[in-house]
Amino acid sequence: MDVVEKANAQRQKKWAKVGKVGEGMYAVVYRGREVETGRQVAVKKIKVGQLKDGLDMSAIREVKFLRELKHQNIIELLDVYSSKTNLNLVLEFLDSDLEMVIKDRTLVFLPADIKSWMAMTFRGLEFCHRNWILHRDLKPNNLLISSTGLLKIADFGLARDFADPGYKMTCQVITRWYRPPELLFGCRYYSSAVDIWSVGCIFAELMLRTPYLPGESDMDQLKTIFRALGTPTEEDWVGHTKLPDYVPVGQFPKTPLRDLFTAASADALNLLSKCLTYEPRKRISARDALHHAYFFALPNPSHPSKLPKCTTSAQLASKPLDDVDGNSEAKAAPSNRLKRKLTGPDQGGRSIARKLDFTKQSVGSPGSVF
Amino acid sequence: MAATPATLAEQEPTQPTKIPLYEASTQFKHWRFSVDELVRTRASMNEAAVDAIRATFEADEPGSSANIAFLNWEEEQLLVKLYMSKISQLCGHFRFPDEVEATAISYLKRFYLKNTVMDWHPKNVMLTTLFLAAKTTNNPISLEAFTTHIPKTSPSDVLDLEFLVAQSLEFEFAVWHAHRALWGIVLDIQSLPPAAAQTEDPPPSQLYDAALAHIRESRLTDAELIYTPSQIALAAASLVAPDLAARWSHSKLSASGSGTPPAALDATVEAIKSMIVNFGHPPNVNDVRDIDRRLKICKNPEKVVGSKAYLAKKAEEERKAEEKRNKKAVESQNAMANGDPFEELGHKKEALVDYDDDDDD
Repeated sequence: MDVVEKANAQRQKKWAKVGKVGEGMYAVVYRGREVETGRQVAVKKIKVGQLKDGLDMSAIREVKFLRELKHQNIIELLDVYSSKTNLNLVLEFLDSDLEMVIKDRTLVFLPADIKSWMAMTFRGLEFCHRNWILHRDLKPNNLLISSTGLLKIADFGLARDFADPGYKMTCQVITRWYRPPELLFGCRYYSSAVDIWSVGCIFAELMLRTPYLPGESDMDQLKTIFRALGTPTEEDWVGHTKLPDYVPVGQFPKTPLRDLFTAASADALNLLSKCLTYEPRKRISARDALHHAYFFALPNPSHPSKLPKCTTSAQLASKPLDDVDGNSEAKAAPSNRLKRKLTGPDQGGRSIARKLDFTKQSVGSPGSVF
Repeated sequence: MAATPATLAEQEPTQPTKIPLYEASTQFKHWRFSVDELVRTRASMNEAAVDAIRATFEADEPGSSANIAFLNWEEEQLLVKLYMSKISQLCGHFRFPDEVEATAISYLKRFYLKNTVMDWHPKNVMLTTLFLAAKTTNNPISLEAFTTHIPKTSPSDVLDLEFLVAQSLEFEFAVWHAHRALWGIVLDIQSLPPAAAQTEDPPPSQLYDAALAHIRESRLTDAELIYTPSQIALAAASLVAPDLAARWSHSKLSASGSGTPPAALDATVEAIKSMIVNFGHPPNVNDVRDIDRRLKICKNPEKVVGSKAYLAKKAEEERKAEEKRNKKAVESQNAMANGDPFEELGHKKEALVDYDDDDDD
């Protein structure tokens, strides 16, 4: 065996797959562990064999960027190895994501909690942008939450380096509800501001506990945005009517954010409005956002360990065996019973090819051998 | 919560001082060598390869390796260098941007720090690195479009090696390039105050294209494995406009307050310049042809499809796989017989690692 293949085999032996957590078209996610230390990990196995163009772009992007980015608010890629015709990414194990937390109606968010999640999101994003990387798919279920409450940006399958000015980029990025208007208008030259818009939508969602701008189609998305924030004028956003896919979608008046976000502080609304500014060049940067008054005003952000956490099925499975085994589903249920079904949004066959989806874990599976 | 300052300090060591982005990169951490290290790495890799291939020959027929002239590491390098220059030609053909070309060449260099041409001929590896680089730099091309434009190349020639190449790169796909640094220097130079004395340097507007030609030459050398992208870019600029480049670098040094004395930087730049001038050109084709001819004899027979050694290796692999399948079948039969459908999972508990990875299908 060649030296390189041997090294690969050595790496493979460092990690054990324990149980399947989710499966998509091109990837399977396993819960796993580091053999030597027992540390929990997630192993994302990407099936490359069936791909006619070899390693696919989202796998390549994820590996390329996560290999370089090491930050406490970005998911850590611990190792990469190949097995037969599969590529395996060993990622740090994270219990849940912000979408699950938002949807868990048993949880109450304090303003300090929201501030803490926002600070962690901006810190991770600032690090991406400082490294000239656009994420291009920020949304609550790509913001994973560790058992210690730390928020980590995940899923770099759509990420790319900033293009030089004059180089086109695709506008078909970012999940619709979090997509900024310049992309909806077909803008091919854009910047880190696209990610900031997404963060603004997430910020609003944390306060509302429901998606802020849920458009039903790309066209409806623009309408939804304008209905919420008012149709932009030429003065608000110079030149937007000249964008490739510009279409007028109707005139909507500007309503103060205060009307909807009744409980938010003035600082919070000021930061929100700076994230949801139409003109991308005037939208706040991640760096400036971190210096915004909102983060310096009271209340201080909650310590990650004090943040509300949902008791997910993934967490249940990591409990000692006798808790989970046998007929313990009934025993484990009480805290769960009040909850809206967490897997709700998955029923539309959401692909988990590029994400770590722990919501499909079956409770009490004997596969959990911790 | 009431941690004393001492324990806090233990738990959270003080933030290290901010390091430049480049120094956090995998390139800085894993792909830089001293000149001596490079020689040692290549020489020992070559030595190990020759030993292994010699053993294969001997296993087949004792004494058969006695008359084989194996390639030494310098000869390997020369062959690789020829294929680096081929990458440039292909990139011109595909109209790939500089980024693809530079990345593919970096991949090829990195690949042959861990592999020998006697196992993997650079002709195919070169194609794979180029195809992969197009993807990693966000300029993907379909495999079909790629292979139909290259004579005598099938999709499997490219794809079969993709994992091997990616493994050899340690899956570290991001490369920092000198041409990017050059662009920064050129932008920077435009804000320098005008020179006090008359110089023969070209105006900044012509600097980039002229210096880029030297960057391209530098790609055929070991420069990127030894120096930083900005050092190489400065050397390329200095070959075109020595005064301007020196003024820029000295102004930069005094502004940054770094401890580097200008003389030390100048010496580095001179070393890179001479590397570019002396080694920044494709090798003599006749020399390489001779090496390639010898390679036909000394290449690893295990890698030659259809050869005795190749078939022997395949048979051995098949035998092991068969053994594993049988073992598995017996285990699951036993599990059924015991009426315990989870028996197999119980086994997994003992054997922590799922080597089989047999949930593939």
